[in-house]
This record gives sequence, structure tokens and C-alpha cells, in this order.
Amino acid sequence: MLNKTGVPTLEDIQTVSPSEERLKKGPVAIIECFQEIPCNPCTEACKQGAIRPMEDINNLPKLDLDKCNGCGVCLSRCPGLAIFIVDASYSDTEAIVRIPYEYYPVPQVGEKVVGLNRAGDELGTFEVSKVQSGGQKNKTYTIWLIVPQSLAMEVRGLRLRSTEIQPKETIVCRCEDITLGEIQALIKEGYSTIDEIKRAARAGMGPCQGRTCRMLIAQELAKFYSIPVGEVLMPTFRPTVKPVKLGTYAGGE
Amino acid sequence: MKEIEILVIGGGPAGLSAATAAANLGASVLVLERDGKPGGQLVKQTHKFFGSKKQYAGDRGYQIGNLLIDECEKNPKVEVWTDSTALGIYEDGVVTAEGQGKHLKIKPKKIIVATGASEKMIAFPNNDLPGIYGAGAVQTLMNVYGIVPGKRVLMIGAGNIGLIVSYQLMQAGVEIAGIIEASPTIGGYLVHASKIRRAGVPILTSHTIIEAYGQESVEGAKICQLDAQWQPIPGSEQDLNVDVICLAVGLSPLTELCFQADCQMKYVPELSGHVPIRNESLETTRPGLYVAGDVSGVEEASSAMVEGRLAGICAAYSLGYGTDEAPKLQREALAELSELRAGPAGQKTVKGIMKLMDKGGAAC
Ligand SMILES: Cc1cc2nc3c(=O)[nH]c(=O)nc-3n(C[C@H](O)[C@H](O)[C@H](O)COP(=O)(O)OP(=O)(O)OC[C@H]3O[C@@H](n4cnc5c(N)ncnc54)[C@H](O)[C@@H]3O)c2cc1C
Ligand code: SF4
Ligand code: SF4
Repeated sequence: MLNKTGVPTLEDIQTVSPSEERLKKGPVAIIECFQEIPCNPCTEACKQGAIRPMEDINNLPKLDLDKCNGCGVCLSRCPGLAIFIVDASYSDTEAIVRIPYEYYPVPQVGEKVVGLNRAGDELGTFEVSKVQSGGQKNKTYTIWLIVPQSLAMEVRGLRLRSTEIQPKETIVCRCEDITLGEIQALIKEGYSTIDEIKRAARAGMGPCQGRTCRMLIAQELAKFYSIPVGEVLMPTFRPTVKPVKLGTYAGGE
Repeated sequence: MKEIEILVIGGGPAGLSAATAAANLGASVLVLERDGKPGGQLVKQTHKFFGSKKQYAGDRGYQIGNLLIDECEKNPKVEVWTDSTALGIYEDGVVTAEGQGKHLKIKPKKIIVATGASEKMIAFPNNDLPGIYGAGAVQTLMNVYGIVPGKRVLMIGAGNIGLIVSYQLMQAGVEIAGIIEASPTIGGYLVHASKIRRAGVPILTSHTIIEAYGQESVEGAKICQLDAQWQPIPGSEQDLNVDVICLAVGLSPLTELCFQADCQMKYVPELSGHVPIRNESLETTRPGLYVAGDVSGVEEASSAMVEGRLAGICAAYSLGYGTDEAPKLQREALAELSELRAGPAGQKTVKGIMKLMDKGGAAC
């Protein structure tokens, strides 16, 4: 239920879904505004006369699907961020969904981002095909996503991939207290193998002997050199595999 | 002692609109504003506003604030004193204030009180731990001073303020663990709710906080679900790992000055607390004292601006200004107010105002 969770129901969505035929014709606005509130910037925004003027400012917006050319002006004006543009004519298999976006950083053209449905669930990774700035005053970005046809009426939000980690506060080697930031800095300086990094930073020389950090460092190297992790040169392994007390040696063979 | 025709107390959207409207008709106006910059709540609203074009809908709150400040500054009949807090309204009509460290006396012919509202608090164990903020304080920290309050927030309240401040926290890179709301439905506009929900933030209606915990500051919160009688459902407890708890549980009209001035007051839940009884011209039972904006019932910036304009027009008219145009302007403002309040969202306010004016019929 929309008023309990914030997620519009299937019935809500159906009231604003254009026919397959209209969707195929080209870009069209999907106005997901389901509650009577005193608001009408969308009607003022549309220069095609596709969003009919409201008799009462509390009316729901009404879209004339034939007049709408999918220009997207209403999308960037709506204070509720409730308008999306769907273009199902993009290709046989794919559609474009345009989504209003007000977070930083703004995704780049060509970047793959995670598409979200109305409940915030992840639907997959999709490519950004265009980024429109709202300009100095309006500030709302419009992000164009290429999605499979079947998800054109599902994808309504996006999140950048890898949730940003703070390299300075993220520990890679727990034994020696070495952060991701330090490792990344060394790689940038030219240290190109795990052994070199081990000698420079002591990563992997603590009690766990590299079990925690080894593969994390390998991943960083792989990312930096754009190679598969399997191709990163492994360090030299020497005995012992775990720290051993001197006494153990003293009393032993 | 400073003499002035109209004194406006509070430089938010209501006060600034009142000042411009009265000055446009010819009255001299002084605005007292407690903060260093006028604009009231608008100063920290970074989202686009609802309403219609007449109330600058689609523009962001702070942009609207700047427009209102500009209009006042352009008008030679308006003086704005910032860092100046009205302290009292006395029987002889003298208003005292503290302005830039000095005690001041002002003798106005008419007074418009537009002091806005203050945040409500709720009681739960450990609610004095550092890390527990009102939503307004969080907004001020973030949007005025550029400081984020923490890393992971529990928002209490799914009215417009709770929803909007959650969104602004997310824009600042702060994680929202969840928004809880004791009533069974979301109180704020659903387009705001949907926008936050599709970013993955759960909105839990019929949920409340049991307690906050932490040694030096907030380390977490226990929440639970409520049944239809608003009683906690055993076994529904959840533990959330958060370092900030943000309260957005409503505002109360800031009416101390009205009480002092001996305005007749009435407790009207629909208007969020004690409000002065007033007539259609927004004049209270103390002649010559008008109210406008959230102080006369917590509502919206859009209606606060129109109420401010109406109070400004009425106060100037009562001083003999605008004999030709004032009645028409009054009617226009009243029509705008009823238009804004005509929908389901405005019904509560209309009901409250009817209670306040003891009227059965249409009210504005
Ligand atoms: C998070 C949030 C989001 C909102 N979103 C919207 C929205 O989208 N659309 C919308 O229309 N409305 C919105 N509002 C509501 C809107 O901001 C308020 O309704 C509006 O600001 C009320 O205006 P006002 O002038 O009555 O009070 P305020 O804006 O509170 O201004 C009162 C002013 O009076 C000053 N003051 C108080 N006491 C004194 C004193 N003794 N002496 C001198 N000065 C004093 C204060 O410093 C303040 O500047 C939102 C509010 C919040 C908190
Ligand atoms: S997309 Fe363009 S034409 Fe269609 S409703 Fe919006 S503003 Fe009008
Ligand atoms: S501008 Fe957006 S929120 Fe306002 S009525 Fe139109 S669609 Fe709804």
C-alpha cells in the first residue's frame, strides 16, 4: 500500500501506464503522482499542452498521451520527482528510462549503474546513455538508462555501483594496521607485486601471515592494471605458516 | 524609542511577505529577525517546493527565501533588523527587543507576529544522549553550516519534514537506517515517500522507538511495531545500529508573544497547538495585533506567504493605506488561501481554522 510503505501498487501504476502501442511509438511521460496535493508545476512546464491545466490545484495531473512527445521538461520541474520518461522505441530488446537524479556524484555517460525498482530493490546493472544537467537554477539531473524492454516500467531509481568505501578508514591488513588508502598509494607509486608491497609496508608479515590481506592486495593490483586476479604474481611463501613461540623450538627437535 | 507604523516580528516567509505587502500600500515597516539572516525555515530548504506558480512552486526553498529578501531590500519603506529578538509585548503597546547586544524599545501602531513554530520532542529512555537531534537542527547543521550529523540515522516521523530531511541526509551521503512512524499511514506527501523508498530506505508505519542506548553518545536504538490500539506488539522489537536519531515529530506554533500580549488563545490539534483566535483579516482579539504563518497554525510556506501578505494588507489598510486597492487584494489573498487548502491535504487546516473561529461555514 502506497500510504504505508511509499511503494505504489500495481493498480496505481496501471492507472498511468500507456498502452503497449503508445509505448512503442516513442518517448512518453509516466506521471507517478497518486495523491491529491496542492501542486501544479507539471502543468505549467508542458509546452505541448499534454498535461491539462488543473481546475483545482489539488487535482491529480492528467496526461494526454497523444500530445506528449517525451521532451522531459515536466520531469525536471516536478518537485516530487514523480515523473519519468520511457522510450520503448529505442530498440527491439531495449528501452530508455529517464530518471530524475539529485545525488552526488552524478553518473557518467557509459557508466554502468545499478537500476532500482520502486521499492529500492536491485534489478540489474544498466548503462547510462545520456546525462542532462538541470542547469544552475533547477539543478535536477536527468539520467538516461538503457534497460531491457521488460523492465521499462520497473526501473525507477539508480545507485552507483561499488558503494563508496573510505580508503583511509578501511583496513586491508589487520595484523599490521595497514589501510586500503596506503596500499592504493603504494600501487600508484609503482609497487607492482604483492611482495614489493609487503616489503614496503609490512602487509602480510603479521601473525596471520597474509591470509587476510593477500587477496585484497591482489584485487587492488588487478584493478589497477586491469588484469584478472589470477594473473597477479603471488608472493614467496616461506615457513612457518603461523607464528610459533621460541619456547616451542627450544623444547623441540 | 523607535516609532514605526507596522512592526513585523519574525523574518520568515510570512513576515517578509507581510512587510512587502504593507509597504507596497505605503506603510512604513520594521521587521525584527532573531537570526543573522532573514528567510526563516526557507534558508535551509534545498528541495523544490510544491504549490502553484504564484507561490514560486518548482523553485527550491532557499531560492524562494532569497526572492522574498530581495523584494524587502528593494522596498525603501521596509527596514529589516537581523540578530534582533523580540522579547516582550507590553500593555501600553511597547515592544522590547534585544538587538545586536542592546536592549531596544519599539512603539508600533500595528504588530504582525510571524514567529513561526518550534520543534516538538518525544519522551523515551535516554533521549538526552548526544546524537539525538530535532530535524530542524539537522537541517541547520547540514544546509547552513555544511556539517553532517553522523553516519547512520534513524528518522522518527514520516511527515513531510521527516521525509524531506531524510532525503537531504541521503544527498549529503549519510545512510538512513529507516524511517519509523507511529501512525498506520505516512503523513507526508507520497511522492516524497516514494522517492526515498525507491532509493532503498524502509519506511515502517505503525512503529515507534522503545529506547536509545549508548555510552557517551548514541550507539543504537530499539524499535517495535504497534498494533491497531497503538500498543507495542511483543516480539516485534528490532535493534538498529545507528549513531544519530533524528526527531521529526511535528512543530508547535511559537506563540509566547501572543500569550504575553493577552491574545485569547485556543488549543486546536489540527493547527498543531495553542494558537491565537483571529478573524478573517488575521487580527487577534488584541486590536492591532495580527498573526500570519506557522504561528497561527503549522502549515506550509506557500500558505505562510499568502497569510503574510493578507496580514500586511489588512494592517496597512487599517492605518488608512490602500483604500482603493486593499479590499480587492484581500479578496485575492483569501481566494488563494482557500485554493491551497481545498484538497485533502488542506482539510485538516480548514477544520482547525473553523474550530478556531467557531464557524460552521467556509473559513479562511
Ligand atoms: C524540512 C521542512 C520542509 C518543508 N517543506 C515545505 C515545502 O515543500 N513547501 C512548503 O510550502 N512548505 C514547506 N515547509 C514549511 C515552511 O517552511 C513553513 O511552513 C514556513 O517556513 C512557515 O513560515 P513562517 O514565516 O510562518 O515561519 P518561519 O519560517 O519559521 O519563520 C519565523 C521567523 O521568525 C523568527 N523569530 C521567531 N521568534 C522571533 C522573535 N521573538 N523575534 C524575532 N524573530 C523571531 C525566526 O528566527 C524565523 O526566521 C517545510 C518546513 C520544513 C521544516
Ligand atoms: S514529456 Fe514534454 S510533452 Fe510530455 S508531458 Fe512532459 S513536458 Fe509535456
Ligand atoms: S509537479 Fe509532480 S508532484 Fe506536482 S502535481 Fe505534477 S506530477 Fe504531481
